[in-house]
Amino acid sequence: MMTLLLALSLLWPLCVAGCSAWHAYRTPSSRRDYFSLLWVSAAWPALLLAYGGEAQWTIDAWMLGGEWALNSLSRPWLAFTALLWSLAAVHARGYFAAEHKQAQAGDQDVQRRLQRLSLLWPMTLLGNVLLVVAQDIASFYLGFALMTFAAYALVVHTGTQEARLGARVYLILAVVGEGLILAGFLWAAGEADTLTLQGVREGILIAEQGAWMAALLCLGFGVKAGVIGLHVWLPLAHPVAPAPASAVLSGVMIKAGLLGWISVLPLGHDEVPGALAQFGHVMLIAGLAAAFAAALYGVFQRHPKAVLAYSSISQMGMMTALVAMGLVAPDVWPLLWPGLVLFAAHHALAKGSLFMGTSISEHLPRWPLPLVWALMALPGISLAGAIGAGMISKWGVKSPLYEMHHESLIKLLSWAAVGTAALVSVALWRQWQQREQGGSNPWQWGAWLAGIMAALVTPLWLPLPAGSIEMAPLKEWLGIIWPFPAGVVLAVLGWLLTRPFKGKSPPAGDLWWLYAFIANAALVPIRLIGHACGKIKAASVAAAQSMEKRFMVYLSRGLAGESWLRHHSSGLMMVLAAVLAALLMWEGQG
Amino acid sequence: MTAEWLPITALAIALLVTGIIFVLPEESHRLRTTINLLAAVTNIVLVTLMVRRVAAGYEDIFSFQVVGGVDFVLRTDALGVMFAGLSSLLWLCTTIYAIGYLEGSANRKRFFGFFSLCVASTIGIALADNLFTFLIFYEMLTLSTYPLVVHRGTEQALNAGRIYLRYTLTAGVVLLLGAVLLYSLTGDQSFSSEAGLGDYLNDNRGLLTLIFALLVGGFAVKAAMVPLHGWLPRAMVAPAPVSALLHAVAVVKAGAFGILRVVYDLYGIELSVELGVITALAVAASITIIYGSLRAIAQEELKPRLAFSTISQVSYVILGIGLFGPFGTIGALAHLLHQGLMKVTLFFCAGNYAEELGIHRIDEMDGAGKRMPLTSIAFTIGALGMIGLPPFAGFITKWYLGIGAIQAEMYWVVAVLVISSTLNAMYFLPIVHRLWFRLGPSHGKGSWPDEQRLGRFETHGWLLLPMVFTALVSLAAGLLAGLPFSPLDWATRVANGEYLL
Repeated sequence: MMTLLLALSLLWPLCVAGCSAWHAYRTPSSRRDYFSLLWVSAAWPALLLAYGGEAQWTIDAWMLGGEWALNSLSRPWLAFTALLWSLAAVHARGYFAAEHKQAQAGDQDVQRRLQRLSLLWPMTLLGNVLLVVAQDIASFYLGFALMTFAAYALVVHTGTQEARLGARVYLILAVVGEGLILAGFLWAAGEADTLTLQGVREGILIAEQGAWMAALLCLGFGVKAGVIGLHVWLPLAHPVAPAPASAVLSGVMIKAGLLGWISVLPLGHDEVPGALAQFGHVMLIAGLAAAFAAALYGVFQRHPKAVLAYSSISQMGMMTALVAMGLVAPDVWPLLWPGLVLFAAHHALAKGSLFMGTSISEHLPRWPLPLVWALMALPGISLAGAIGAGMISKWGVKSPLYEMHHESLIKLLSWAAVGTAALVSVALWRQWQQREQGGSNPWQWGAWLAGIMAALVTPLWLPLPAGSIEMAPLKEWLGIIWPFPAGVVLAVLGWLLTRPFKGKSPPAGDLWWLYAFIANAALVPIRLIGHACGKIKAASVAAAQSMEKRFMVYLSRGLAGESWLRHHSSGLMMVLAAVLAALLMWEGQG
Repeated sequence: MTAEWLPITALAIALLVTGIIFVLPEESHRLRTTINLLAAVTNIVLVTLMVRRVAAGYEDIFSFQVVGGVDFVLRTDALGVMFAGLSSLLWLCTTIYAIGYLEGSANRKRFFGFFSLCVASTIGIALADNLFTFLIFYEMLTLSTYPLVVHRGTEQALNAGRIYLRYTLTAGVVLLLGAVLLYSLTGDQSFSSEAGLGDYLNDNRGLLTLIFALLVGGFAVKAAMVPLHGWLPRAMVAPAPVSALLHAVAVVKAGAFGILRVVYDLYGIELSVELGVITALAVAASITIIYGSLRAIAQEELKPRLAFSTISQVSYVILGIGLFGPFGTIGALAHLLHQGLMKVTLFFCAGNYAEELGIHRIDEMDGAGKRMPLTSIAFTIGALGMIGLPPFAGFITKWYLGIGAIQAEMYWVVAVLVISSTLNAMYFLPIVHRLWFRLGPSHGKGSWPDEQRLGRFETHGWLLLPMVFTALVSLAAGLLAGLPFSPLDWATRVANGEYLL
């Protein structure tokens, strides 16, 4: 039964993509439904699968040997992944309703764009589902690559100048990331002679160069997870992608990087070698740096989705720090990981709802505005940890850290939560400034409301191991809630203080512009060298040609000799044959 | 039970068909087609039989003495059967394709006659058990492909043919010299002998190295290793099915297969390592890989780009040999099959674009995905496989080569693999992008160079069928690489024989 469900959850998106391709060639454009119910249902079998219980599959015929499993980690992961994909698909049906009408009216450009999106959306989903269940390297890598490259269509959808830039940055960094991942996998798998992720974990633990392998893999996955320095695609790609695409991008796809880390790093192992622990410290610092720097930079952004993208970087920074704890303080990991999964799941749904919310504020339904903004704020408040699932996930992370006496980290995380609160307030404020009437489609706000609900009650539906997550005791509530009001107050204060200076906001994508500048500057000497090489080449070609000409004069004298050879060729052949035969005989005697 | 008739029958059928085709009059198309397809299918059945027998541990040997000390020997071993399987499978595919491709053109009798002869030679090469037998078929291959290369009879084709002969016949002389030297040193040396040439190492180290250089140098011409590759891009003027066969199995692969035989079966891997020639081979292969890819980027026409890609890809096989260790060998052997399947698909696609739409240049391909979806999907599968992305066949090879390089502690090979993958992406992805993402004549922008409606589907059915088949097989070879009798499985079997894992 489970096997059937697994097959279905992998094949169903493929069928959906196939149907969409079929319609492109067979159904006349005026009757084509790009976002049919079938299309919306692409993630449903995977969602069912997550609630079917634990299971394991070994398929020898699959590539280098398939190992797939639903275990205590991948079950909840699949659950929130599939849930957000389903909600985003419903949202997309509403979001693209206007474009859909245009397409049916015969706008070929829109037709092509919708066609591409409806085909590659289920492929991206397929990659994501595959990488969650995969336990062997080849399947994991396949899923990761498929998801990464198919998502290009999601980012580039609108085809504007900014969208193309965002998509290009996304693609460049994705290619860099894929290269790093492949190199890391090859190295680790080659040294340990293994084909499974389990083997990679063990191999990294015992290998002499384990820390370097870990670094390669971590940087590779870090492109997705928005590690500081490699995060530049997020604030450039998110504002330009359609809202449902941003929701899955920021909600679940960047979590794939996190899952990658958890899958390849020997977290929580008793004897982590020194170099690896050192690497853990670096990761911890990088995570915290991202958490704070993104918040500081993000609050000055103008576009609400750019603000939210920086909030994602900041949140992923916190998760990076928590993963690093698995290397730095391995004893805390067994208690910490359920909290981390809950954190990830809650962030996925909450951020998904926030991104879907941006499309609501651009097409306000005819509801009382305070109600709309209250709803809009709910996932944000929860993200800052002040209500609902946010509180529980904060506590789920905090309590094991308390237990193992890592108070300083707790303090830092609380301050990072202040940043989250400030970012969310700024995002809502920007949405208010840029609000537009227009009336949402029921599919659009329906998915949004469902997302908010799911985010607020995440622990209720997330299939984590029983008893791994508890409600915070009453006396701890203040310690969890205070960052939210503090963040809001800071945001308001900051706004009041900076209001007199009507400065321009810093560009989204921060370091990207530096990278692009450096790359361009580096190209200048290369171009100069190339130019010089071209000149040298031309000169040497000319010299060689004149030499050849002179040589040919001599050679043409050889023509006479050639005609002599032609006349005597048969004789020469005989001589050659005789020599060969003599050689044979001579050797035979010897 | 012995079945010594098996190898000789497989060879005889191909030769017999050649004879029959030459005897039949030019006009009897239907009879010729029937005989051709029948023979191709029979051959696949025979090779399947061989595969089953080899898998069960039998070896069938057919031999007779030519002169004292020189025997003609055919033998079914795992490596040979692998190559025979590839050539008989692709014989069927390319024959079907050629029938569609050449419909209504002149000189088909000559074409199919030499085509069968060419396949007969590859089967002979595959099953030959000593250098003498191998060389007979190797030279036969040279001569039988010449009429195919110059089939069109244009000035350009004749020129290409002349250059082809100049390269390959010179190589033949070099090979002959190497073979004569070897025979004079060791006498008749079977590929299957356990002893290898280790006994001669102490006294004749220099001579052995010289012979190795002569043999590998001779084979490297057909394997199109830089700087001996000059003939291959020019031979692109041949009709598409010929290019497909030339690049996928017949000529280029025969060269690579020859090197495989020399290193693994004639010298033995330990001796080759002892002589230090194996690293030289890996370096030469790496240079070829990078150079071929770089030249491919510079090409503006589709078929030359594919030709340079072949130069680069075939050297993966050589590179795998150069990695001392089982994983490199598995990668090399699997790539022999994988590259064949993928490249034949790509050439079928190139032929289809040329026949249906008159496309020769890459910048004419904009938006062709809409007009010819099946061809474009097949092309995409082949291209992504060549880059080495999962789940296509190319990924499996690259993975094994990479692991082999790490285990042999030749880390620079990993860098070569990464660079060449990037370069492959640089010359294949723009084509895929043009096919699917650019707007072209099928979106009402401009017109195709020379559009014809060849069939009910996007093009002639005979052109479509083999292409879809090879595309599916090259997808399955990656996706289901773990299945018994998949290319990877068979390559592992052969490598186990070489390294006794």
